[in-house]
Amino acid sequence: MDKKELIDFSNEIIKLYEQGKIKAPIHLSDGTEDKLIKIFQQLYNPGDWIFSTWRSHFHWLLSGRRIEELKLQILEGHSMHIFDKKFFTSSIVAGISPIALGVAHALKQKESKFKVLCFLGDMAASIGLSMECFKYASGHNLPIVYIIENNGLSVTTPTEEVWGDKQTDNIHEYYYERVYNHAGIGENGKTKFVLF
Amino acid sequence: MEKPNLFYSKYHQTVCDSMDMLAKEDKVIFVGQQVAFQDFYGTLKNVPISKRLEMPVAEELQMGFCIGLSLEGFLPVCIYQRMDFMYRAMDSLCNHLNLLPKYSRGFYRPKVIIRTTIGNKSPLDPGIQHTQDLTEVFKKALDFPVYKVSDVDSVLGIYKEALIIDSPILIIEEQRLYV
Repeated sequence: MDKKELIDFSNEIIKLYEQGKIKAPIHLSDGTEDKLIKIFQQLYNPGDWIFSTWRSHFHWLLSGRRIEELKLQILEGHSMHIFDKKFFTSSIVAGISPIALGVAHALKQKESKFKVLCFLGDMAASIGLSMECFKYASGHNLPIVYIIENNGLSVTTPTEEVWGDKQTDNIHEYYYERVYNHAGIGENGKTKFVLF
Repeated sequence: MEKPNLFYSKYHQTVCDSMDMLAKEDKVIFVGQQVAFQDFYGTLKNVPISKRLEMPVAEELQMGFCIGLSLEGFLPVCIYQRMDFMYRAMDSLCNHLNLLPKYSRGFYRPKVIIRTTIGNKSPLDPGIQHTQDLTEVFKKALDFPVYKVSDVDSVLGIYKEALIIDSPILIIEEQRLYV
């Protein structure tokens, strides 16, 4: 699907929305066409999982899925929750991050040739849950790519500004070796009974 | 030959037997803290290490991760050492595992066996953050079965049910009954 087709699809949805034929919120993806087309060309292969958000129309279309099926789900009021085999969404910020991670772990365990593409907004990517997932995915070399779609905003909240832009060093770390058990006493790692 | 550990109760032994039963299923994988680097209070001692995945202390990640495993055909046993810690998993648990059959219109029905415990207050009391009985909280929050296992006779039956039902299940053990 090319840029014009993506824009035409959005325009058709806008028309249906304005006519009152869609009884639920829609989230359009204007401005992302060029970058998404490139990302899908470079990263996506049929059979890969896609995890997306409440703004998923272009992800669906660029993965080669049927336009009519997407339109049907939108008309039924499910624009924020579009689903298909290996196409998963959530409307909770960053909610998909660990689910996509688990799928990636399973794919690796099964030595699958497929991978996961997980699309996140910039605020979703900046919160603790996603940070944990990035660290785990990297640390375990899982077949997943997190793609951050950054418009600088979380709804209307400016992401960078609310996190702050100073680079101060507030963390001091020191290392030590444990002498006693985690709880109670005893030689570390050699206790016979677990303390409840 | 391993010496019998007289420290543990029949309840504890039945939990062990239940874990052994679950472990016989190819698709089952045990996920959590103290699961691979220890044996979760001795209850996983007979479960092959290849079926035990130690996780970081990241409760919400762990729950979502188990949903993902389920989507790809695994049956995760998602273990939280104490149910107090499950509050940190609430979004993955309530907004995803619990709601997915509804908000995906039945497209995805992930199955996860969640296993946790109520902390023991005796002989040492670790305080309220480690010993709460939150059973009623989770019963109200979740649409799938939540069981507190308070007697030895029901342990194995509930874990057998966990294998066959077509929904997630939360099973709460009582540490005070382990000994």
